[in-house]
Amino acid sequence: MTDLTLTALAAAIAERKISSIEAVRACLDRIDRLDGRLRAFITLDAEGALARARTLDADLAVGRRWGPLHGVPLAYKDLCRVGALPTSCGTKTAEYFTSEIECTAVARLTAAGAVTLGKLNMTELALGPFGDNPHHGNVDNPWKAGHVAGGSSSGSAAAVAAGLTHGALGSDTGGSIRLPAACCGIVGVKPTYGRVSRAGAMALSWSLDHLGPMTRTVRDAALMLEIVAGHDRHDATSSLRPVGALVAALDRSPAGLRVALPENYYFDGVAPEVRAAVEQAAGVLAALGARVQTLRLPDPAILNDVANVLARSESAAIHARIVRDRPHELGAAVRSRLEVGFHISAHDYLQAGRLRARLTREFVAEVFAETDVVLAPAIPEPPPALDDVTTGPVDEIVRRMGRFSRLTRPFNALGLPVVALPCGAAADGRPLGLQIVGRPFDEATVLCLAHAYEQATDWHRRRP
Amino acid sequence: MSESDPGRRQVQGDVAALAGTIERAAGDLALAEEPSNFARALEAPAPRD
Repeated sequence: MTDLTLTALAAAIAERKISSIEAVRACLDRIDRLDGRLRAFITLDAEGALARARTLDADLAVGRRWGPLHGVPLAYKDLCRVGALPTSCGTKTAEYFTSEIECTAVARLTAAGAVTLGKLNMTELALGPFGDNPHHGNVDNPWKAGHVAGGSSSGSAAAVAAGLTHGALGSDTGGSIRLPAACCGIVGVKPTYGRVSRAGAMALSWSLDHLGPMTRTVRDAALMLEIVAGHDRHDATSSLRPVGALVAALDRSPAGLRVALPENYYFDGVAPEVRAAVEQAAGVLAALGARVQTLRLPDPAILNDVANVLARSESAAIHARIVRDRPHELGAAVRSRLEVGFHISAHDYLQAGRLRARLTREFVAEVFAETDVVLAPAIPEPPPALDDVTTGPVDEIVRRMGRFSRLTRPFNALGLPVVALPCGAAADGRPLGLQIVGRPFDEATVLCLAHAYEQATDWHRRRP
Repeated sequence: MSESDPGRRQVQGDVAALAGTIERAAGDLALAEEPSNFARALEAPAPRD
């Protein structure tokens, strides 16, 4: 049962072929069997999930269906405030983050009928792309033990890939949804900045944070996104734009859409199998009728630097208290990255913000006059061995972090919608992932293309 | 960290490099440019075929 997609499970529950309690028990059994190795969960709320499932089954029995996720078990990155459950944000402190309101995205999923299984492991304070955590254990890659699960939404990706939950929420400040999605062979969506409310979730960087779904298929991601997206009065940056029908958009034909492979930056130094997989993906899209071309993108390296200045400054401000009062509680690399922010001047922070505005305007005008989407790798190499990237001098670990996330971070600076999805595997089975990047608020087109690619290939059917 | 701490020197070096890059790129920004124009850039209609 845990092999069912979120969409298929929701349909089976709606038709009363499967009960919510059966679905929850199947997930709990699988968590019991596998999470000792994966360490995907920080807090498991088995009793709460079973009680909620009983209520939902009783409601359905009398014809009351809450919504499209009625009875479906989900889990959330442990930086979302969810009911009375603690929110550690991956730190040593169980209740590190508190909020007067519940995470809006979680509340919307719950209102649509979802069942909360628990809270998912993550890199400490969402700072790091490898999925290691000194307090809650390193999240293991479901495909190959001892290898990077990706971060910072490491538990979200591992739990979805391993069938511990039918979907999850992650957050993405520099790639934290897309990197673990790629490492674990699942789908992750970083929506347009402002598309999904960040209210009730711990901030790492107000300017760059995004919440989004992590699922096994593009259709599942579209369904979750359609539910969580839209204006929220609790988040001043959330857009007033209508969301539109994202699931319905999946059935559009990709024929005629223009797809650009970057000529610069995105293939520099990437592993040969990654390059080959992304180029093959472009070939699949061409066979589906898309018009594939190459395109030189405005310098992504400066976008990386802009994102770094904004992220370091804002994260140091937000988390100043733990850095100054309890630095010994933080991992060395996390502490080092936060401390950088104390040394960035207000002048440089403001110049980075102004620069970001111009670079975004120029990127949208120049790139989307030539193409409808950009296709690029999500990770530069198959998920590496965790020990290889998390041991050694701190400054070297920090540099490795920068290299591993250099393909995703520019799109946080630009705020554009991106879908990451599996596009291949290394010889030993470790997943490879690509990114499809679209116009602002045009999630429908990136999801449509991602769905068309997914349906034309078998990568989403592989299981660890 | 003390001023002579290698870790501190590394942080200061990284920040100086980052600041230099940003300053060079921001040198010709229009006077009217402001950070909130980022949201405006996303909300404005993007070019289409």
